[in-house]
Amino acid sequence: MKENLWSFCDGDGNVSGAASRPILTRRQAIQGGLVTAISSYLGASSLTEVAFASPGSDSERDLLVVLFLRGAADGLSIVAPYGEDDYYRLRPTLGLAKPAGKKQPAAGRLSDLNGFFGLHPALDGLYPYYEQGMMAAVHAVGSFDRSRSHFEAMMTMERGAPDQKGKDPSGWLARFLNAVPTANPTPLRAVAFNTVTPDSLRGATAVTTIPSLNDYRLDLPKPDMKKHGATVGTKAINTALTALYGKGDDEVTRSGRATLTVLETLRRSDPASYKPANGAKYPETGLGSGLRQVAFLRRQNLGLEVACLDRGGWDTHVGQGGAVGWLALQLKDVGDSLAAFAKDLGNDGLKRVTIVVMTEFGRRARENSGLGTDHGRASAMFLLGGGVHGGKVYGKWPGLKSENMEDGMDLKVATEYRCVLAEMIAKRLGGGNKIAAIFPDGNIPPPLGIFKG
Amino acid sequence: MPRLSRRIYLTAGAAIVVAGVSGCSEVARRVAPARHMGKIPPLPSTGDLSPAVRVLNRAAFGPSPGDVAQVTKTGIAAWIERQLDAPLGPETDESEVWQMRLRLRNIDVLHNESYDLLDWQGDEVRAQLQQAALLRAVYSPHQLRERMVDFWSNHFNIYARKKVGGNDSSPELVEVYAARDNANVIRSHALGTFPQMLQQSARSPAMLGYLDNQLNKKGVANENYARELMELHTLGVDGGYTQKDVQELARCLTGWTVEDRFLRNRGTFLYDDTLHDDGEKVVLGVRFPAGEGERDGIKALDLLARHPSCAHFISKKLVRYFHGMEDEVLIRETAEIYRKTGGEIKPMVAHLLNSPSLISSPPIMKRPFDFVVSTLRATNAETDGKSGVMEHLEKMGQSLFQWPMPDGYPDKTASWTGSLLARWNFALALSQNNVKGTSIDFGADSSPEGLVQRLLGRRPDDPVLADLLEAVRNVAPADRVALMLASPIFQWR
Repeated sequence: MKENLWSFCDGDGNVSGAASRPILTRRQAIQGGLVTAISSYLGASSLTEVAFASPGSDSERDLLVVLFLRGAADGLSIVAPYGEDDYYRLRPTLGLAKPAGKKQPAAGRLSDLNGFFGLHPALDGLYPYYEQGMMAAVHAVGSFDRSRSHFEAMMTMERGAPDQKGKDPSGWLARFLNAVPTANPTPLRAVAFNTVTPDSLRGATAVTTIPSLNDYRLDLPKPDMKKHGATVGTKAINTALTALYGKGDDEVTRSGRATLTVLETLRRSDPASYKPANGAKYPETGLGSGLRQVAFLRRQNLGLEVACLDRGGWDTHVGQGGAVGWLALQLKDVGDSLAAFAKDLGNDGLKRVTIVVMTEFGRRARENSGLGTDHGRASAMFLLGGGVHGGKVYGKWPGLKSENMEDGMDLKVATEYRCVLAEMIAKRLGGGNKIAAIFPDGNIPPPLGIFKG
Repeated sequence: MPRLSRRIYLTAGAAIVVAGVSGCSEVARRVAPARHMGKIPPLPSTGDLSPAVRVLNRAAFGPSPGDVAQVTKTGIAAWIERQLDAPLGPETDESEVWQMRLRLRNIDVLHNESYDLLDWQGDEVRAQLQQAALLRAVYSPHQLRERMVDFWSNHFNIYARKKVGGNDSSPELVEVYAARDNANVIRSHALGTFPQMLQQSARSPAMLGYLDNQLNKKGVANENYARELMELHTLGVDGGYTQKDVQELARCLTGWTVEDRFLRNRGTFLYDDTLHDDGEKVVLGVRFPAGEGERDGIKALDLLARHPSCAHFISKKLVRYFHGMEDEVLIRETAEIYRKTGGEIKPMVAHLLNSPSLISSPPIMKRPFDFVVSTLRATNAETDGKSGVMEHLEKMGQSLFQWPMPDGYPDKTASWTGSLLARWNFALALSQNNVKGTSIDFGADSSPEGLVQRLLGRRPDDPVLADLLEAVRNVAPADRVALMLASPIFQWR
């Protein structure tokens, strides 16, 4: 199967399709005038679907939604350290305007998070959740992979390894699924909304990888096909399968019944006509559609435990833009889609859902001559859900003075990403005694206290 | 005291199946108490299963039309004998019948040195490896040999996507070495001698790259391969080795690497003495004097292969593979054969296939590869083994050479029950001639009775088939084929 191409630069920092890095005027850069130079960005994300568990019993675990921002998202813009002078010194063009006096979003300005950090204006859809204490950010977070290579860093992170030398090639989510089994025979326990199974799920056999829920169906023949005297009919085959798998106590027939139930549920309550609750409105984007389907599955009680979504378009080497522009466009989709998802679930629904947003590394502190940013090291993560001690920015902040930066130019990794994932698994996903099995390489740092439980 | 494997959570859950379902108390007595978490799920009844079908499901990848009659005519014992006698060898020409050679002739990875494959697209290398494996499993008359290739490929699992060199834009992955590994290690020794296969595996660039032994050098030992060598290839996690043994074994294997120097024979095994830790070592209580160079590794491998735990471990895996459960008596008997013959695979397999309990052993759920191959065989399909079929296998979750962990694809039923929809869709696609590059033979008799005979090799009056016959009676003939292949009974071997 073809690999997903998240459309970022080759190892030398040359964006595919961009022949050179022309120098822009400030105005052009800020207005994202170089969108075309960033070439074949695939903004599409794919959704993953999840399995079939009934709430309660062994599911005192949160539904886990993992959103991976592929292409090295600029943490310094997403959660901007406006309280640090060096930020503006290093980013004269890309620096984002400080928050207005009051603690609320003002157009085109950062929204204040804690008097030092501000949330990118394009994410203002998520700001209320931060204020209500359901969303937290972690800054200066990343892996110890120092390659600044997308391929290497994603591999490291999806394997749940501290650095490139991590030995276990299976994915951390796969190990999680294997370590924390479910009694439910659902076929939709872990869903990757994608065409290719992400590396974080490699080594798990019970993963469904589909671009959308529409692809989870029986590929029944069209009614007008007559093969060998057959008028193939939807109903007949369904009936027959139901009869075949209707009896029996063994794992195969039980799973067969579970599969048929899922199919029937999807048929009965067509995902396309799903009406979000609480007036939530999902963006008409891949990500919006994906999260919508996760909400749908959740509501249908189909046993979903892990959903994996991806979004590309973060490799902003040129013309990154500030409050408006390329990066802002991507962030708006993320913010609005996640906000719609949260609104759809409602505060009650969010109680047992944990969303983690991560990226493989961050970007250079200093903006470059193309008014974009090169590859860096640490970035930011978001955690959203009822089980989050939100309203805070976690992690030690190394600062942007060159003597405190890695190689004098990149934000240092002060918090290892596995620290966040491990705490999440222990406190929200029922995997407290399985951490060593899920993260076999090296030691996990102690938790930051991000989660309840 | 062996260090508990981090993978114990995978293996400890493997239920030892109690064969009580068929009411065979004698078998039940011989089975070790189950090590499982929670209840053992029940198994389906196999009904009036004919020995010929059972043997074809276990020793081969299921019957093709005519196979059952043929095996019955030859006699099962004689058929097994003939199957055991398959030629072994790395090259397609000598060890394949001419019809297979024809099918494989355009698969270039089989005819290239690893070095030549470095310039290929990764996708293409992988696709061809998978294609060759599928075609051999479906069409080779040496079915038992292909079953053993399946078994050993999982035992000596390699992961095609592991990066072993190159850079970001053109990474070199293990897959460039996989064809040679498959030929020189697995196919050459599948029914040969285990100690020899082990020696070859340790010299395989695919294995050395996959488990990082090419980075294993004096002073900076990399224990990855040494550990898996003991835990997964020879002794088993309870085999009685210590952490220190792993370290000492790693020292023995320092310098076992892959040639990657310009103008040399790149992609082949290289013993680099400058990287070898030449001091004295002690492995499993045996002293290895200093200054032995490459012999350290060779001796260590031999020591592992001759260790009683190895005989036990290999036997246990073979018993699981052929009998679907860990029958203590059979394991003991097979291990004894290993010890007596110095690890000859043929007599071990012969013992397991000729054992009367093969017929009464519990059903084993077909893994996706099993299922796809048996489906193509049952329908006498003509297939090119390419993406048309492979995309289905991928959806079922067993795209070959893509299992990341060295323990190989799992064999627990629970691991594969999620693939049912993908299996049903494959069956439906096949019956609608909707699998690119593949066509099946619908046969003359499309009555339910005719189909159970042709596709499942079963007698229609077998009570266990009553529901199946009923369910497909009022369905169009083409759909009947799909439903038979999608039926619960066809998911087991």
